[in-house]
Amino acid sequence: MKLFGTPVSRGIVAGEVMRYAPFRAEPSASRIDESDVGTNLELYDRAVDMARLELEDLRARLAPRVPDEAKILAFHVEILSDPVIDEEVRGMVRTGLMSGDAAVAAAFDKYSDLLGRSKRVLMRERASDLRDVKNRVLRCWAGEKEKNLSSLDRPVIVVCDDLYPSDTLSIDRGGVLGIIAQTGGSTSHAAIIARGYEIPAVLGVSGCMGCLKDGDMVVLDAERGEVVMAPLGAERAAYEARAVRVEAEMRGVRRWRGAEPITRDGRRIWVGMNIAGVSDRELEHAPSSDGSGLFRTEFVFMGRAGVPGEDEQYRIYRRALEAFGGKPVTLRTVDIGGDKRLERFGLPKEENPFLGLRGLRLCFARPEPFGAQVRAALRASAHGDLRIMLPMVGSLEEIARARAFIEEQGELLDARGVEWNRGVKIGIMIEIPSIALIADLVAPKVDFASIGTNDLCQYLNAADRLNPSVESCYQEYHPAMFRVIGDVARAFASHGRELGICGEMGGDPLVIPALIGLGVEKFSMGAASMAPVKRAIRGLDMASAAELAGEARELGTAAEARECLSAFAARSSPDA
Amino acid sequence: MRSRTINVKNPTGLHARPASDFTAAAAKYSSSITLKRAGTEDEYNAKSIVMLLALGLEPGEEAVLTADGPDEAEAVEALTSLVDSFDE
Repeated sequence: MKLFGTPVSRGIVAGEVMRYAPFRAEPSASRIDESDVGTNLELYDRAVDMARLELEDLRARLAPRVPDEAKILAFHVEILSDPVIDEEVRGMVRTGLMSGDAAVAAAFDKYSDLLGRSKRVLMRERASDLRDVKNRVLRCWAGEKEKNLSSLDRPVIVVCDDLYPSDTLSIDRGGVLGIIAQTGGSTSHAAIIARGYEIPAVLGVSGCMGCLKDGDMVVLDAERGEVVMAPLGAERAAYEARAVRVEAEMRGVRRWRGAEPITRDGRRIWVGMNIAGVSDRELEHAPSSDGSGLFRTEFVFMGRAGVPGEDEQYRIYRRALEAFGGKPVTLRTVDIGGDKRLERFGLPKEENPFLGLRGLRLCFARPEPFGAQVRAALRASAHGDLRIMLPMVGSLEEIARARAFIEEQGELLDARGVEWNRGVKIGIMIEIPSIALIADLVAPKVDFASIGTNDLCQYLNAADRLNPSVESCYQEYHPAMFRVIGDVARAFASHGRELGICGEMGGDPLVIPALIGLGVEKFSMGAASMAPVKRAIRGLDMASAAELAGEARELGTAAEARECLSAFAARSSPDA
Repeated sequence: MRSRTINVKNPTGLHARPASDFTAAAAKYSSSITLKRAGTEDEYNAKSIVMLLALGLEPGEEAVLTADGPDEAEAVEALTSLVDSFDE
């Protein structure tokens, strides 16, 4: 039997299935009999003991590596021993005749709401700690083990609904052979994570969570977009033979990773790397790049318990500068909101989060953590070519306000006598159509800009990139994209300002020639895309790229554009 | 029952580490121990980290510390000097 989906990251693998889904508690709502009170209290005690053991074990393992994280876990142990919550739970069981798990949920919710209403940000953050502890106790009550992708005891093919942004940091690259996701297309989190780590992946496989069980043997064919269940004999052998061929072909492309990105007629194109942190794994290919055109700093804040302070961020940013050895590192200030939730920022529930409080808008609403990040960035700027890039900018007022804010943070550093680079370059992401359409007015106000094609595409097409039912409306090759990118490039060139692209299109070897033809000569991408992109660059010359770009602007549909780009790629191989 | 007025002088207030130290110290006594913000009536269980955070005493604030039970005198004494020591 086969399942079908969209292939987003190349390769063919065979392996055992591991279903990956976050634990969802479903406490029983019905009243218990008086005779069951004792049992429920015992089960409650057992769940709390188990949660405490987990926390202490985790803390012991994390303490040497991430002391801040360990401190938060110590705080979680304190919450577990809190006499007020404990009494509340017991009271609800004894006199309210609630089941133990329902009582845990109700009592913790009561106190996290109490802290959540606090005026102070710090207190509101503590509310999310209470929710963490609640979930842990409820999971222990259900007898479920903690599941994540950070430490797998054997290699598996992960089957999930979607991955989460926080999985980017914790995923065990060696342990995850492949990814099969029920939702998502080529720009979902699972796709970005899979391509980043070169893990074969097929997404949008409807029904996969329903029919694949832990331990099932499957072949994941991310060349054709197929999942084959328990193939035997000749069928299996045929897959294995193709897997070997595909691997050899991919090795051939990877040879280009260290190549110089230079066109046939000698134009040097800037090829940078997108990073989400400073682990060795993340920075492994830094030497093959021209720098980082996008450091997604929100990942420094995600997948951990506490918000990193100014000093810790300073060390992280400085480490990134050192890893790129004098090449520029473009630090995008936290881009939380939209699909990237972060409990600790106490985000309001919004009807329309992609059109809501996200990116720079959220930073203005939370000046304390934003200020700490800007100060950390400015301090790091004394040690290299660090640039600050602001996400989700929609107007000139926002640019002025952000510049003034950064200036103020600089003055605070001056008052402390701390060194920073006064000439630090400040730029913006171009992703909101309103800012793209006034690029000629924007260019003189910034030192550089980078087009975030994922968000630009979803706002131009009015199609949520994570919503599978409008996947066909999310068109990166829509002629509107080529026209807007071309107009922005022209405006920036006429003001002599740097312009790059750092979205998924910036790592797409098929479209790179047209983007170069439109006047963009800086691209930043996931490490795995550098090889195929450099290969594409070395196969083209500027005149034919310009011709291709002109065609792309005039073609009426995305499908025609794709055909035209594919034909160009086929006749522009550098291998010949 | 014994009470004493305490002064929160340390710059972070009674949150985070100091709050944890305070509840850990309070938990050692068998007396019931409460805190209330000066001039208000709501009493908060001082052995509960969550209640202490909800009370959220800020630097410069005064609160009334009350202990009731067999070891109330020592409790008030020890906890008052603990809060004073946060200042250092």
